[in-house]
Amino acid sequence: MTNWKKKTGYLLSVLMLASAVTACSSGSDKEETSAGTSPSQAGTTETSDSDSNASNASASGFPIVQEPIKLKMFAQKSPPNGPYEDMLVFQEYEKLTNIDVEWEDVPTEGFVERKNLLFASNELPDALFKAGITQLEAVKYGSSGMLIPLEDLINQYAPNLKGLLEQYPEIKSSITAPDGHIYALPAIVTLGSGRTDKFWINQTWLNKLGLKAPETTDELLNVLRAFRDNDPNGNGEKDEIPLSARRKDKDIVGNSIINQFIGSWGLDQQMGYDLNINNDKVDIWFDNPEFKELLQFVNQLYTENLLDHEVFTQTEAQYIAKMGSGNLGFFANQANDPFTSKKDDYVGIAPVAGPNGDRKAFGKPVARDFGAFAITSVNKNPEATIRWIDYFYGDEGSIFFRYGIEGQTYNLQSDGKPEYTDEILTDSRGTGTTIGQFSPWPGGGAPHLISELNSSAINPKEVQAAQEALEPYLPKEIYGAPIFDEKTSKEVNTLRQDIDIYVLENSSKFITGALSFDKWDDYVKTLEKMNLGQLEKIYQEAYDKNK
Amino acid sequence: MVNQQTIVTRRRSASVAGERVFDFIVYAIAGLIMLIVLYPLLFVLSASFSDPVRVMNGDLWLLPVGFTLDAYKEIFRYDAVWTGYRNTLLYTGVGTIINVTMTTLAAYPLSRRDLPGRRILMFLITFTMFFNGGMIPTYLVVKNLHLVDTMWAMIVPTAIATYNLIVMRTYFQNSIPWELQEASMIDGCTNTRLLLHIILPLSKPIIAVMVLFYAVNQWNAFFNALIYLRDDALYPLQLVLREILIVSQSSYLDSSGSTFGMTEKLLLAESIKYGLIIIASIPVIMMYPFVQKHFVKGVMIGSIKE
Amino acid sequence: MENWRRAWKRALSRYDLYLMLLLPVAWYVVFQYGPMYGVQIAFRDYIPVKGITGSDWVGFDNFDRFFSSYYFGRLLWNTVSISLLSLLIAFPIPILLALLVTEIRSQRFKKLLQNITYMPHFISVVVIVGMLQLFLDPKSGFVNLILNAFGFESVPFMESEGWFKTILVGSNIWQNMGWASIIYIAALSGINPHLYEAAMVDGASRLRRLWHISLPGITPIMIIMLILDVGAFMNVGFEKILLMQNDLNRGASDVIQTFIYNNGILQGDFSYSAAVGLFNSAINFTLLVLINGYARRKAETSLW
Repeated sequence: MTNWKKKTGYLLSVLMLASAVTACSSGSDKEETSAGTSPSQAGTTETSDSDSNASNASASGFPIVQEPIKLKMFAQKSPPNGPYEDMLVFQEYEKLTNIDVEWEDVPTEGFVERKNLLFASNELPDALFKAGITQLEAVKYGSSGMLIPLEDLINQYAPNLKGLLEQYPEIKSSITAPDGHIYALPAIVTLGSGRTDKFWINQTWLNKLGLKAPETTDELLNVLRAFRDNDPNGNGEKDEIPLSARRKDKDIVGNSIINQFIGSWGLDQQMGYDLNINNDKVDIWFDNPEFKELLQFVNQLYTENLLDHEVFTQTEAQYIAKMGSGNLGFFANQANDPFTSKKDDYVGIAPVAGPNGDRKAFGKPVARDFGAFAITSVNKNPEATIRWIDYFYGDEGSIFFRYGIEGQTYNLQSDGKPEYTDEILTDSRGTGTTIGQFSPWPGGGAPHLISELNSSAINPKEVQAAQEALEPYLPKEIYGAPIFDEKTSKEVNTLRQDIDIYVLENSSKFITGALSFDKWDDYVKTLEKMNLGQLEKIYQEAYDKNK
Repeated sequence: MVNQQTIVTRRRSASVAGERVFDFIVYAIAGLIMLIVLYPLLFVLSASFSDPVRVMNGDLWLLPVGFTLDAYKEIFRYDAVWTGYRNTLLYTGVGTIINVTMTTLAAYPLSRRDLPGRRILMFLITFTMFFNGGMIPTYLVVKNLHLVDTMWAMIVPTAIATYNLIVMRTYFQNSIPWELQEASMIDGCTNTRLLLHIILPLSKPIIAVMVLFYAVNQWNAFFNALIYLRDDALYPLQLVLREILIVSQSSYLDSSGSTFGMTEKLLLAESIKYGLIIIASIPVIMMYPFVQKHFVKGVMIGSIKE
Repeated sequence: MENWRRAWKRALSRYDLYLMLLLPVAWYVVFQYGPMYGVQIAFRDYIPVKGITGSDWVGFDNFDRFFSSYYFGRLLWNTVSISLLSLLIAFPIPILLALLVTEIRSQRFKKLLQNITYMPHFISVVVIVGMLQLFLDPKSGFVNLILNAFGFESVPFMESEGWFKTILVGSNIWQNMGWASIIYIAALSGINPHLYEAAMVDGASRLRRLWHISLPGITPIMIIMLILDVGAFMNVGFEKILLMQNDLNRGASDVIQTFIYNNGILQGDFSYSAAVGLFNSAINFTLLVLINGYARRKAETSLW
């Protein structure tokens, strides 16, 4: 009874398995061949076609191509952005260039998955726009031929980019892959205030309490205590928040509250990580005594109730709401757009000097948003494409990109700089969303130039003044995150998967007092065990290589 | 029959005190559960009519603070929400019919203890709950079938949920007497007739559950939409919802200036999220009473007497 | 030989059952077994341009990377303990709720209770976590205000390692007990009413009827649900955990799935994600096979 039952069972399973096997082998074959051959096919067609198209693309001036061409671009649609095909900027640009871009715009939610599938299923577009390609992706897809090298194209067809690369040599080192090629373009921020967090203090409160802006950490303590105790908002309740910070800063390990004070202990952020470069020596400072002192200071802020206890849990929305409430004494933020209605209450101050006399600010590199634009191997018009994007890296083009059309979406002010029309600035949907309907820049990550000339939205006069206060304390050179080759990058990820979490977790516990400073030596020892030295060595090698 | 009834009544009155205590306990526990569940629900409802900043500050207790209809006005302005609504209703309707049909077709034969090969089939089916090829190969299959960017991409790849199949099979196997099936077969009933005329009428509770489970799955589905759909006009409601909600929960944004335009979106999301949840759940919540109707004791007996 | 012929005859006489299975089996072959070759990605260094079958073999490298993490032990412990807690507490509660519901005599109250406990299932986890933060806030949350009223100090629940698992599992129960009880309510309604009538004639109390009729009546489905839950042992609903996680409760909230989300999926590292995923699945599947075998021998209810 059971015997025959078993046997038919086996028969059936064999049948099913067989069909499953054929299904998978045919599936995988197809997958393999399509993935294996088409890029090279595309490569050959590209070379044969590019000659003919090179003549179509003019070396300079508009239109870029005499005969209209079509390009397919894959782009990220951030929450404030409208559909790309409806954007005024691109519609106008098509008339100007003769290049019709067919957009595949994908919402931020799910963008990473879609980008991965694009490469995995080999359905490449001609170019990727606002794509957030990671350094590892650039290396992987570049070395396997799916993204094409751009450096020669830049030299021949992209005068704006070429100029910027010459003017800021550090850009080149941070976008060049270990094999010497550039596979992806960043956004370039020459605007100084676009690269720093300002320290905003509540001037109204200071005035009311008869205090002056703090110059040292000790003075800061006193000011914050006064904010806490003396009811500067005058409502009779102790509801003031003397100091708060956003929960976490992207790419960098430490909490923002730590970042806010690193300069006062001489610590810096170079190469996109928490490290100092002293006399060409890389020093990841997680185990330095200065870091311990800094944590002790923040711990004091926390235990004295000067620091908002929600810094470890609050969402961005809550933090923005706090900034906008005007009930914050001291905090860091790049611009003042989250608290426009209270902007007159706040001034930007210089970093405070630490107990050892250190007084530094830190900033971000000129090349921001790595991997904002890339051209793929299926593109038959790489010359036209690089010219198409290069315009946005020039003064004229970047103003067009961010502001649209004069008289329609912006007007020139007396100082010659553009400003959006009043309808846009007062639109009930919000300025960012309104701009996002005709230009893709709101939401961040777009490949273009951000300079003094085109940044009225993020660089009003209060922000400029705050930047001036910071300027003397900024490091001369700010190095971007290095690009590792695939093997090294795997090693870095493996090391950082432990170290980053360990530092984050323990520094937070040191701050709240959940972990006593007696345990500092254990903390340092564990970091050693996690091979912090090896990580430092890798960064050192990367630094030496690019120097 | 009459005799039996009187005996029952007599015994009942004998233990009436015990019954009272039992009832009391039942109602007390039920009341407590109701309160615990009800409070957060009312909170969501009140929050949707409140000033979002005050909700964030923790001022809301039970009744709306700073009463406002702004959230709903804002939602009604969001075209994407309404296209999403329409799409989701369509996907849920069509999808559920296909889901329940396919699952019944698989669950019934696999519930038959006299079906050779059923154990190995069950094993192979269960196996797929744990091991699958992952996103890329599945995407390639969907692509090769030309389903990408059609509504079928939301329906065909999820035509059967193994979990539901197992639940349905268990019901067939345990709640429908095997003797009944054997008897029908001896009467010369074919398997198809057996399924259509005897099994299904006896299985209303489980079919109701399946309809509910699948409909809710379809209603909440977003990942396949993320992967397979290109055209915004095809996006289901949940994708639109997530786009709005997830941004509100992000713990940080890149502080280097790209936040411009995001702050206002964040606050907007914060202010409409409660209202959105309500608007988006109304249809599935309204579904339940219809499903509930079929959970009546005695479905079985009526059908057997037929 | 004789056995074979009989089996064949038996199968043949049930050809219409196989016909019913045709479409579902075809679906499983195309959508489940067809892409199954993708599993090998865990043992390769996946590079899209080379395809899954063309990428280089790396053996167990991806697994080693995971096992050698400083946090491996902690990730495993957190995953296992959250799961155990769920199995012990969150699993029985819907059953009790279903039994409770059927014992309520007032039809209106019964339906009301079902409808209300059903609703939280539809609140997005984003909003759930947001509410937890509000309710448990040390300064303004009502839970702490109640504690204060009784003279206790505020507890920073969301920032505490000790409270994390309790809050996670507790809020899961709150959100899903009604939903999870539906299947049992359905099963209870499938019990033959003659059994109850007979018991009443015998004078069995309601508690005894519950114990001797209702409970055995839903035992098969209970066992199946338990098997399925055990088979999902390593899956702990990571989206919610990720939203609840912060640097202060990470010691209790870092689980395998959040780890792989941060280090594999966000980095676009398919092979690494797949390897850790496979590790989880292998454990899940092993557990399932074990408990299924056990249930088959002891309770005569099983998946296969």
